[in-house]
Amino acid sequence: MSAAKGYFGKPMKRVEDPRLIKGIATYVDDITLPGMLHAAVLRSPYAHARINNIKADAAKASPGVVGVFTGADVNDKCGLVPCASPMPDSKIPKHTVLASDRVYFVGHPVAVVVAVDRYAARDALDFVEVDYDPLPVVSDPEKALEKDSPLTHPEFRTNVAFTWSVANGGLDAAFKRAHRVIKQRMIHQRLTPMAIEPRGCVASWHAGEGTLTLYTSTQIPHLVRTLLPGMISVPENRIRIVAPEVGGAFGSKLNLYAEEALCSHLAQRLGAPVKWIESRRENAAATIHGRDQIGEYEVAVKKDGTLLAIKSKTLADIGAYCQLNTPAIPTLTGLMLTGCYKCKAMRMDVVGVYTHKMATDAYRGAGRPEATYVIERLMDIIADELKLDPVKVRLKNFPKPTEFPFDTLTGLTYDSGNYQGALKKAQQISNWNKLTKQRDAARKSGKLFGIGLSTYVEICALGPSKMMSAGGWEWGCVRIEMSGKVTVITGATPHGQGQETSFAQIAADKLGVPIEDIVVMRGDTAVAHYGRDTYGSRATVIGGAAILMCIDKIIAKARKLAAHLLDTKEKSVEFRDGKFSAKGKPKKALTWKQLAPEAYVAKNIPQNWEPGLEASSFFEPPNCTYPFGTHIVAVEVDRDTGEVKIVKYVTVDDCGHQVNPLLVEGQLQGGIAHSIGQALFERTVYDENGQLLTGEFMDYAMPRAKDIPEYLMDSTVTPSPSNPMGIKGVGEAGTIGATPAIANAVMDALSPLGIRHLDLPLTPEKIWRAIAPVKVK
Amino acid sequence: MIVQGTYTLPLPPARVFAALTDPAVLQQAIPGCEKLEKTADDEYKAHLKIGIAAVKGSYAGRVRLSDKHPPDRFTMHLEGKGAAGFVNGTARIELEEEGRNTQLHYNADVQVGGLIAAVGSRMIEAAAKKLAGDFFQAFSEALPQAE
Repeated sequence: MSAAKGYFGKPMKRVEDPRLIKGIATYVDDITLPGMLHAAVLRSPYAHARINNIKADAAKASPGVVGVFTGADVNDKCGLVPCASPMPDSKIPKHTVLASDRVYFVGHPVAVVVAVDRYAARDALDFVEVDYDPLPVVSDPEKALEKDSPLTHPEFRTNVAFTWSVANGGLDAAFKRAHRVIKQRMIHQRLTPMAIEPRGCVASWHAGEGTLTLYTSTQIPHLVRTLLPGMISVPENRIRIVAPEVGGAFGSKLNLYAEEALCSHLAQRLGAPVKWIESRRENAAATIHGRDQIGEYEVAVKKDGTLLAIKSKTLADIGAYCQLNTPAIPTLTGLMLTGCYKCKAMRMDVVGVYTHKMATDAYRGAGRPEATYVIERLMDIIADELKLDPVKVRLKNFPKPTEFPFDTLTGLTYDSGNYQGALKKAQQISNWNKLTKQRDAARKSGKLFGIGLSTYVEICALGPSKMMSAGGWEWGCVRIEMSGKVTVITGATPHGQGQETSFAQIAADKLGVPIEDIVVMRGDTAVAHYGRDTYGSRATVIGGAAILMCIDKIIAKARKLAAHLLDTKEKSVEFRDGKFSAKGKPKKALTWKQLAPEAYVAKNIPQNWEPGLEASSFFEPPNCTYPFGTHIVAVEVDRDTGEVKIVKYVTVDDCGHQVNPLLVEGQLQGGIAHSIGQALFERTVYDENGQLLTGEFMDYAMPRAKDIPEYLMDSTVTPSPSNPMGIKGVGEAGTIGATPAIANAVMDALSPLGIRHLDLPLTPEKIWRAIAPVKVK
Repeated sequence: MIVQGTYTLPLPPARVFAALTDPAVLQQAIPGCEKLEKTADDEYKAHLKIGIAAVKGSYAGRVRLSDKHPPDRFTMHLEGKGAAGFVNGTARIELEEEGRNTQLHYNADVQVGGLIAAVGSRMIEAAAKKLAGDFFQAFSEALPQAE
């Protein structure tokens, strides 16, 4: 599709925004049903303990309390919390919705109180008495692998949850050939997604119909509908999942959580709707965390900077159990470890380790940020070691634009790319020569000034079904209503990314109708019957293609009706700008508004022509998409306090054609803000007893408005051959590309002090501790 | 977390030791102590109301004394749990004669869990020191009445 005409490619404001800004959007907590009860969850204060006894009598007698339920009451009626991506050697613990006889992380649900209002439920939690016997705790993944370590799950007799490897090429030969072998250990700190809207759900059981409706703050209503029957014994076709407005997810709501099944069960059991809204503190403790890998990385290079091989041993601290995609996340790191570089050999061995902490799972970028961070840090470390220019080292190892589609050692095929083009443009925009002179001058005057870059590539628009455990297609439906208005329904479940706008742009162009005539519906399985939802920056690419397929079907069908009404042959009907006309007779054209009533009234239709103008489609992507780009960051580090100030931020991203550049920019800006948090502030901390020390915003440092610099943003366009629009996903690119650029800039600033690497987050304290002992030159 | 400190009390060690192991004195001195009952020799049941940072809560606890070497030292084991989490601690207390006064050295290993750890961890050390200070202040005030 050309980006030149119509709505496609226009920077249009989001149709979603007015309701969000005005506060008239409907989130889960805005939903009130008649007779609705409220649940509050009692959580373990221990990282590991045996439950000897739970006394709930006082709580049951508390005013307004309808019931108190423990594991003994519900676990035989609610199935286990599922993991959809086990490795062949995975050891998966039985993760019941409420703890049975043992808790194994702080925040583990132990009991649930249901009451007539939220306050009564919360108050009664304090009256539930749990007799715990503390058990030995392990919270450090390296200690967890030591011989005499406490065990997260004693029944497994090991803390190893799974192992996974990816390898290709002659590794030993490459390392033998190398002029230099460089090693670096890197820690990818644990992060808390911290969506502004915590999780929450309302479950409603219709006893007469035998149907369950679950309103839940989720990215994946369709996957929840597929998975929930395995937990609560209500068949899929009697379950309706609604994801209303979702106030942030970032992967943390790409899951089926215990509380969703628990409320569904309680609604059935109590014969009344049950609402549960997570508190901020519960969110910090019991919604999935991200990252948390420790890697030993080794590269073999030639003295001109040519990358020969990379190998890594990585520990993934996955916490106490496996949520939906826990084991899959580190595999994405492995698949992308070589980044946007040619390489002769690679190997990555992952050991997933259980510790007494919350489970990790997909968080913005999900495994790819770790890969990009590693390879982009290594590029700078190679340059430092060989006294080469980091830009030249990168250029030396990029594949040429003519080498695409580019097969990686890890078995992927990068669809399209021009890494040199994005780098060059970013250098131009950053005023590279002036910037390096600015650095020289700053250093002369004793300042710590650094420039960092990252040239990233990432895998997204996940993905071909053969790669995905539950299929990777997307579903869409388009209906020209009898009035000629258009309803677009997507199974992709956008929840803030803006596809109500961008899908309308796509459909308006293809149908030739004003965008105001289109409404995009999503997030309700009773409306969007099937879907694979939003994760892995997939919705626009795969969901958008499904919409196009629907419209192609409708146009083909309408052409037959138009031929009949225009009294001409189907072959000679032309469709242009939303009008059907007989060849050579453009004046006697039929619009959708004229065709639609005929299609539905169905009094004057062709023989054997099925009434209606509606089509649905499944789009199966032939490949993932691989957006890429260059981020250039300049920072100044305060010599006295270690504080980092971002003085310049330039990004050139290539996500192929852009349906709506404003949305692209918004996604990138949000992603970079996440990265600033990861690079400079955020770290989820557990102490050696498995106690969570970062349980609220006072202790978990999120970036604030003052920490966000002005971005100079631009793009290059290298269309993807994997979908009809030539687009690529962009939801996670910002987070994937930005973190290493910021880290590289800070390390460049500290390089005159002889400091090569510090692990993230680069807090003032950490930097100060590194620079304070170094004497001023 | 290790909390330690020294406190000077205006009585000789033998008197301090006796008072420190006297439930009536302890109940007056322990911050927020609403109840202290003897359950066995050197074992007490306690009910405390304490606020740390934004976390205020009631704790049901047990106090046990061991390693008693009057008037030089003893060890106090503390366990408290409530809706806001739990506190466990072992404090080694040493008394040193200094003229007519006693220098009291305490060295406590304190573990906290649950909400107190998640929300109050920044404050715990300061809070623990303050609670210890409050205790000894109240304790020295309670001493004359204990005679």
